[in-house]
Amino acid sequence: MISLGHYLVVSGMLFALGLAGVIARRNILIVYMCLEMMLSAANLALAGFSRFHLVNGLPDYAAQSLVFFTITVAAAEVAVGLAIIVALFRSKQSVDAGVVTKLQG
Amino acid sequence: MSVFTLEAGLALLGLVLLMIEAFQPDVSRRTLGLTAIAGAALALMLLPFCGTTLPAFMQPWHQLDTLALFYKGFALVTTLLVLWLTLECAPYLTRFTLEGKLAEMFSLPLIVCAGMMWMASARDLVTVFVTLELVTVSFYVLVAFARKSAFSLEAGVKYLILGALSTGVLVFGIAWIYGATGAMSFDGIAKALANPATSKATALFGAALLLCGLGFKVAAAPFHMWVPDVYQGAPTPVTVFLSVGSKAAGFVVLTRALDAFLVPGSIIASEVKALLLVTGSLTVLLGSLPAMFQTSVKRLLAYSSISHAGYLILALACRDSARFDLSSGGIVAFYLATYLPMTVLGFFGLGLMRVNGLGEDLKDFTGLAKRNPLLALLVTISFASLAGLPLTAGFLGKLFVFLGLADHGYWGALSCAVIAAAAGFYYYFKTILAMYTTEGTDVPALSFSVVTKTVAGVLALSILILGVYPKPLQKVLMPAPAAVAIK
Repeated sequence: MISLGHYLVVSGMLFALGLAGVIARRNILIVYMCLEMMLSAANLALAGFSRFHLVNGLPDYAAQSLVFFTITVAAAEVAVGLAIIVALFRSKQSVDAGVVTKLQG
Repeated sequence: MSVFTLEAGLALLGLVLLMIEAFQPDVSRRTLGLTAIAGAALALMLLPFCGTTLPAFMQPWHQLDTLALFYKGFALVTTLLVLWLTLECAPYLTRFTLEGKLAEMFSLPLIVCAGMMWMASARDLVTVFVTLELVTVSFYVLVAFARKSAFSLEAGVKYLILGALSTGVLVFGIAWIYGATGAMSFDGIAKALANPATSKATALFGAALLLCGLGFKVAAAPFHMWVPDVYQGAPTPVTVFLSVGSKAAGFVVLTRALDAFLVPGSIIASEVKALLLVTGSLTVLLGSLPAMFQTSVKRLLAYSSISHAGYLILALACRDSARFDLSSGGIVAFYLATYLPMTVLGFFGLGLMRVNGLGEDLKDFTGLAKRNPLLALLVTISFASLAGLPLTAGFLGKLFVFLGLADHGYWGALSCAVIAAAAGFYYYFKTILAMYTTEGTDVPALSFSVVTKTVAGVLALSILILGVYPKPLQKVLMPAPAAVAIK
């Protein structure tokens, strides 16, 4: 039987992997993928919590509605984000984090 | 007509302007900009006359209390000033945009404004999340808008990565708060947190993650590292918007969330308060101390914006301060109301210097008083107020925070805040002295339009008037008895 704990462990692992990727990877595209993974982790946790929080015998849909909003927002974020990353690639011919070091002080 | 029609109207106007730019390329930039300004001004004028009743289906996730209405006005005023500054900076900005176009710089601020206004009314985490993202995603575009400038593009990438990271942390925090309390609305969360049966570890984990996510948005330490880079790289009007609008939006959400987390009898109250005090103290120090060594004035203002976020967080940590008849949310709102004119005025100075072909470094400010005494005077008023000189608006905001900290006996945080304020005097007055003492080079006098002169003059006057006579603003922020009664 799969319990709430199982969902939370998987979600926590996804979140930790995503965070580790954001911190450790140098390629901005991969960093961006890791960020999306963190959002998925949050979605899984939300769906899990919602499924195991029964209201009148039914799952509580307050959290599941947030999952849909998160998916939509993530899509919008990817649309804008990829456009910016493409603009970066066009001007620098690279998407390595090392090319964005002009602003310092 | 109810207030929420204003938000819908602004968002619609933003979309219409976007369509006009796409399909009617011969409509001039100035027409678009002035239409946007007219729309925002109309909304601001209508705001006091709009009804505050809500249909029943909206009441669970929307509210129109004093604070919400105040922040709606705040968002509109900020947007108006940003739009005007954009129009004024247009000749400079268009050098760095694709085909010299600027339309999104007029339509996106309207959409951001609608998002911020909606956010001020949020009473559940779903609304908070969606409006916060509406604002943040629009800002990704705005920051990277001058994309032919390597600085703007780099700032855009940095803001994108860190903004998306904070979004991930924020949603994960919301999930865990929901897991602990079984509620998405602030009222439900407050009720569950006052119940000793709620799991403390889960709630604390969620609350900490949520505060981290919001900390990114308001530039709280240790999540402030993006601020100097992004503020410096972004086009100046966008920097103003980030520094004033985005910050105020973050703080209205923080105020609402903390009202729930620190409800009387809350099981996580002492931990959250300790977290706020530590973060606030760190933020004022990490904002003020590096600012002393900056050579770019734009970057200096970015650090100053971090330290102001620190004072605001410290104000939030002082709950139930009976002094001044203001709640801690009211003190934050007061501080932000004084922060608006002084910050916008400072950035107006920077933007106008840019348009006149000068840079943003300290050396460009030397001898400014010779070239344009009026601009130098305006920047002086702004910086003196940012430092917290008595008889300016900035002094009162800081005074409220310091007295609140002293009332609660938070001496550690108070000493950090005093050190930061002292450092602030050093770096603001260093700039002011540079403007007046050093001999001016033979650069031609700066010029700017009559409307800009008027706008900047009104901002400067409001700093001085608020500093001497703040009573009307305090009265606006006092919680109306009726608003408290509605639950």
